[in-house]
Formats: sequence, structure tokens, C-alpha cells
Amino acid sequence: MSSPTAEELDPLPLRVDSLTVRYGALTAVDRLSFTVRPGEIYGLLGSNGAGKSSTIKCVVGLQPAASGVIRVFGRDPLRDTLEAKARIGYVPESTLLFDSLSPREFLEFVASVRRLEASRVGERVGAYVRALDIEREFDQPLATLSNGTRQKVLVMAALLHQPSLLILDEPLNNLDPRTVRILKELFGEYVRTRGRGILFSTHTMEVAQQLCHRVGILDRGRLRAEGTLEELRRRTANGEASLEELYLHLTEAEAGVAAAVRELSGA
Amino acid sequence: MGWRSARALSSVAYQELSFQSIYALRQGNVLPSSDPPSLVATARRRVFQSKLLIGLLLGLMGAGGGLALSPTVEHFLGPTAPMAVYQAAVIAGVLLLQLSLLWTTGLQILPTFLSSRILPTLETLPVDPRDLDRAAFLLFVRLFDTPALSIIVVTPFAIGVALHSVWAGLAVLPGALSAVILAFGLSLATGDFFVRRVVGSPTGSLSTTIRWMFLVLWAVPAFAIYTFISFSPELLRTLGSLSNGNPTGLTGLLLIYPFPFAYLPSLAGPTGTLGLPTANVLVVVAAAFAYAVPIGLLAAWLVRAPRRLALGVPEVAARRTNSGAPLHPTGAVRALLFKDLRTASRSPGYAFVVLLPILDAAVIGLSTFVGARSATNVFNLGAAAVATSALLATFFGPAFFATEVMGYSYTRTLPLAPRTLLAGKVGLVVLIYALSAAVIFGFTVARVFSPWVFTAFALAELPALVAAALIELGILFKVSARRGLAVTNLYTGAWWATVVVLPGLIVAAAPLGLFQALHGQEDALAAMGVFSLLELAIVGPLAWLWTRKGYA
Repeated sequence: MSSPTAEELDPLPLRVDSLTVRYGALTAVDRLSFTVRPGEIYGLLGSNGAGKSSTIKCVVGLQPAASGVIRVFGRDPLRDTLEAKARIGYVPESTLLFDSLSPREFLEFVASVRRLEASRVGERVGAYVRALDIEREFDQPLATLSNGTRQKVLVMAALLHQPSLLILDEPLNNLDPRTVRILKELFGEYVRTRGRGILFSTHTMEVAQQLCHRVGILDRGRLRAEGTLEELRRRTANGEASLEELYLHLTEAEAGVAAAVRELSGA
Repeated sequence: MGWRSARALSSVAYQELSFQSIYALRQGNVLPSSDPPSLVATARRRVFQSKLLIGLLLGLMGAGGGLALSPTVEHFLGPTAPMAVYQAAVIAGVLLLQLSLLWTTGLQILPTFLSSRILPTLETLPVDPRDLDRAAFLLFVRLFDTPALSIIVVTPFAIGVALHSVWAGLAVLPGALSAVILAFGLSLATGDFFVRRVVGSPTGSLSTTIRWMFLVLWAVPAFAIYTFISFSPELLRTLGSLSNGNPTGLTGLLLIYPFPFAYLPSLAGPTGTLGLPTANVLVVVAAAFAYAVPIGLLAAWLVRAPRRLALGVPEVAARRTNSGAPLHPTGAVRALLFKDLRTASRSPGYAFVVLLPILDAAVIGLSTFVGARSATNVFNLGAAAVATSALLATFFGPAFFATEVMGYSYTRTLPLAPRTLLAGKVGLVVLIYALSAAVIFGFTVARVFSPWVFTAFALAELPALVAAALIELGILFKVSARRGLAVTNLYTGAWWATVVVLPGLIVAAAPLGLFQALHGQEDALAAMGVFSLLELAIVGPLAWLWTRKGYA
């Protein structure tokens, strides 16, 4: 009998428990807890500096946490690094890559490190290249490509091995409307395959409202609220509110917005 | 606005450039978890340390020039040439060496400077273009201030002291200034060429081959140092014979840069006119003035060039792509090796450390094999070339980790085991050593019929080379795991470079030392091979243990 896979041991794509991240004296994330369930796109929302990217960096193993627990299908990304990373596809916030490689060379490198078979990966890449319209740029050095094209390459690299957990940090930045539409549809379809989950970080509320099944609202490193759009509306007793209105209400930023607009208008 | 405002702008830009050069955030690295102000201070300190190190080296060259002018050394080195000819040759040599080193340093830094996008950011400010020119120029100069000052201050001082003449010392200044200006100009021009033409060149084997050919040319200035040292006795002999029998020929030679400048201190000092007819002396002095004109124009160009060049963009070659062509994933170690070589082919700084041991083998091979008189000589010289290649490959081994700076934050999210990364880097060191040995092997085959002893020597050193690379990279991993830092960040301070490189150099040099100690004995080569294997047997498991954990 074969040993159970990580997904069988713990079907939860991602569990974050009491995560704290510090930069010297600054606490960027303060005892944050949330989960990404199978079949779910979980939106991590917050203003600039709220702690979204710090959380994500800990999940993908880029940064050590001061304290707390992170589990990717039950695996600790720091202890069972390779097993956890093998199940993650990651689109970073910035498009800083290997400038000297072409998209083809970069994807070949990622496929090699992930030990993917040429036959399996070739067809998939071909389909992405056509769908995302980067045929002309496929053999040009990344240094010479636009930020949008680089972003497309990063999305392709994240999807190359069809991971069980996609971690997307502002993945639609820099992209044209056609590609944004394709990717939104694609992500929605992606989690319909059994067991998969997506952690989606953004500060664009419209995108989160369209795409995410549940959201967590992060403010100055702390989780202010969590739930579906309906749950958040019930909590604020505002049945028609948009996610943007809920966000401003829950982070107590409404008054600040009005004051800032007044001040800038008079400036 | 004026120079003062430009200086303020350049100070901000300098801080940013220091920060980027140490933490490489724009290349995809991640910041260590420390207080931001301490990170800035660390970056500035480390950049200053690097400049100081180069400045010290250049100062030592200047001081060495002064030492070479002392009567004892002069008698030892230059008995065939009249004293003043010897003095001019030594000063010319020092100026050439300093120019080459400063140019080489510029080649390492300039691509980062030009592609850092710091100056384009300043362009968005409402500042007079002339002030932006000045700010860019000052930023450029600040990158080289300590090394340039070292050339301009230490060299005249050392020569003045050696020749017991303030005037002789002051007469070195035009030559020292010319060396600095030429080095700046050459760095900018070649750096611009690389960023503009090479960075955007397409993929494919032909383009890659052409890029590597450019890179070989790129590394040539560093070898001016080497070649000059190798051929300096020959040059002195030529100067001596010319001065004894052919004054016109000597004058012709003295017209070549930097001799006209190097001749000025002798003229200003106590030794006088080299025994040349007054007319010829006047021709040499006129040549110094003639050289001063284009060098002055170059200096004027330098004020505007850094901004103009930094605003340029890579030229993208139009090329048909075949997006339908299949991808070819390979093993992870091979993929790392290819990735590093591809990165190096577009990054002169990395290409330089890859090429240096190989070019070293070629230069030593060429210059010494021509003069070797017997098969024993050929073997000895070949062994020396292999030894220096091995030591150079070991010396630069940890620098290959610096290529991981590129996209490092992304690589660390991939399921790449530290040991795989280690194997990829050791593979690169071995590949460089093998190519160097192959170059020397080529010379050996050309000179002697049976080069197998030499081959055995190269193979006997191989396990020690692997052990040296393992110990260096193993230390990097161990420290990174303990300090929670990315391995690439560790290799940015002079202290860590010493701690990491020194053990590797000792491991690589030990079998060579043993062979030398047993030289002439029948079993010397076998003993070297056994010792080398023993080192690998000890270091291998250690490195295996050290890379159990760590950021990869």
C-alpha cells in the first residue's frame, strides 16, 4: 500500500495560525490566522503596508516568521521545504526576474527544477503562449520585455506544474484588459479541480469582489474581518454594500478618506 | 542650481546605487529582516570597503613603482638600460597597470550603474539638464573616488620620494590624471556598448557565441596587467638595446602612450634627458602635450556622457521566434549550470569571473610555452598554468553564488534543494577548471609528443579543486542557515570573502604544495593525487552536512 499524499493527510491547502512577522522593531504582521479551503479563492485584502506581502513571503519560504504556524497541505514550508514548495505556484508582486534569460529559457529552468517531463510541459506552455499572446516575445531576453509581458511569464511559470495551491500577489498588475479577463476566468475554473486552492492578495476591491469566495481584511498587520461578501454585509448591517465600502467601514477608514479629500481639494 | 545642487542630487543617487549594489533588490533579491536604517548604513560601509580595497591595491602599485626606482631594485631589474630609460619604463608600467585595473573595476560596476534606472528617476524632476549632467557625472566619479585619488596622490608621492625630487613627483601628475581619465572613458564606452548591444541580443547558439567573443574582448584589459608583468623584462631589454644603438627607435617607442608622460618625471628629476639629443627630447615632450589634447576632450565628454548613456535603452535585435518549438527541461543541476552561463553571457561582471581562469591558462600557456626549451620545461610551465587556473577558479568560486542574486527571491520559492544548488555551483567551478586544463593541454600537445604526465597532473588536482569549491560554498550555506540570511547577501563584505575563500585556497593549494615539495621524486604525482582524494573524502561529507539546511 502506498503512503498517503500530503493532500490526503491534510486536505487544507493553506493554514496560517498566529503568524507574526517583524522587521527590527516594526511588527508587520501581528498574530494573523486564516485558512484557504479546497475549491476556494481566498482574498487577502489590505492597504499598502498592511502586511499582505510579508505574509505571502513567509508562506512561500522567502522570509522567516518571528512566530506562528504555516502549513501547506499539512507541511511546514520551513521544515518540509521541498514538499511544500512543490505544491505551490507563486506569482510575486514584482516582475523582477532573470533579465538575461528569455521566457523560453526561464520556463525551461523552472520546469527543470520542478522535474517536469518535456511532453507534459510542452503542450501546456504552447497553449499559454498562444492564449496570453506572447509568441513574438518568447525568445527575447526578459530585460527587453514590458512589465505586462513579464507578468504573463510569471503567471505561466506558476501554472506550469498545475500546483494544488496558487499564491498570487497582485497577479493582474500591469496586464491588459483581455489578459485580465482570461486570467480571472482561468483562476475561477482552476479551483474547480478537486482539492485546489488560491490565495489571492490584492488591494483592488472590484477584482476581489468578482473573484474571491472569501476574503480576509488586513489592517496594519492584524486581521480585522473575514468571511464571504454576504457574511461581511450581515456583520456591518449593510445588505447592499460593495466590498470597497465594507473594507473602508471595517478598517475605520471612511472618516479618514473624507478628511483627506477635503484637505486635498482645498490644497 | 549649480554644482552644489548637483552634488546634493548625486548624494541621494549614490546612496541608492550603494543600496542596490549590495542588496540587488532590482535584480530580484529580498531584503534581510533588519532595521531599514541599519541596512542603508551597511550598504554604504560595504561599498566604501570595496572602494578602499581597490584604492589600496592601486596605491600599492604606485608604491611598488617607487620601490622599483630604488637603486638596489633598479640594479637587479634594469642593468641593460640607462637609468633614466629604466625610470621612464617603470613609471609607464605603473601607469598602465593602474589604468588597466581601474578600467577592469569600471567594467564590473558600469553595467549596474547604467542599468540601475536611478538616473532616469532623476529625469522626472524639474531640474535643468545641465545640472542632471553634473549630478550623473558626480555620481559616476563617486563610484571611483577612492581608487582615483589613490592613483593621483599615492603614485606622484611615491615616485617623488624615490627620485628625491618634489618636481619629479609633480611631473607624475599629468600621467596619473591621464590614466584616470582614460580608464573612466574606456569603462563608460565599453559599458555602454555592452548594455546597449549585448543585453538585448537574441537567444540562439550563434548570438550566444558572438556574445562570449565580446566577453573575451571584455576581459582583455585585465590581462594587460598580466601580460605587462610577463613581458616587462623583455621590454626593458628592448629599451636598453634601443637606447644603446638606436636613439631614433627609442624616441619612436617613447612616443607611445604612456611613455611621454612617464618620461616627464625623469626630465624634471635629477637624471635628466635619457641621453637623447635635445631635438628628440622635445619631440617626446611635444607628444605629451599632443596626448593631453584628446585626453582633455575626453574629460569634457565625461561630464555629459554618464547621463546620456544611462538614459539609453538596450537595442533589441529583430528576430523571428519559434514559440511552437518544444521546451527541453533537463536535470536541475544542468539547468542551474545553463542558467548561470546564460546569465554570465549577458553580465560582464559574472562573465569575467568565469573567463578569468580560462584566459589565464591561455596567456600563461602562450607566453611561456613559446619560450620553453625542453619537455620538462613544458611540463613545469603547464603545471604552473594549471595550478594558477585551479587557484583562480577556487578564488572566484563563491562569486558564482552572486549570480543567484538574479531572480533569487523567485528561485527560493522553487523546490530546489540546497545540495542541488551546491552541485550546480561546484559543477561550474569544475567546468571552468576543465576548460582551462583543456587549453593548456592544447599547448602541451603542440610542444611535446606525450602529454600524459601533464594530464595526470591536471586530474590529480581535480579532487582538491572539488573539495575547495565544496568547503567554500558549504561555509556560505552554513553561515546563511545560522544567520537567516540569503547566501548571496553574505558574499558582499570583505571579511566574509576572506573567511570563505581562504580555506578553499588552502585546500586547493595543498596538493600543489606537496607536489612541489616532492618534485623530482618518482611518486610525487601519485602522492599529490592521493592527498587530493583524501581532502575530498574529508570535505565532501562535511559540505553534505552543512547543506542539510539553508536557504536555497
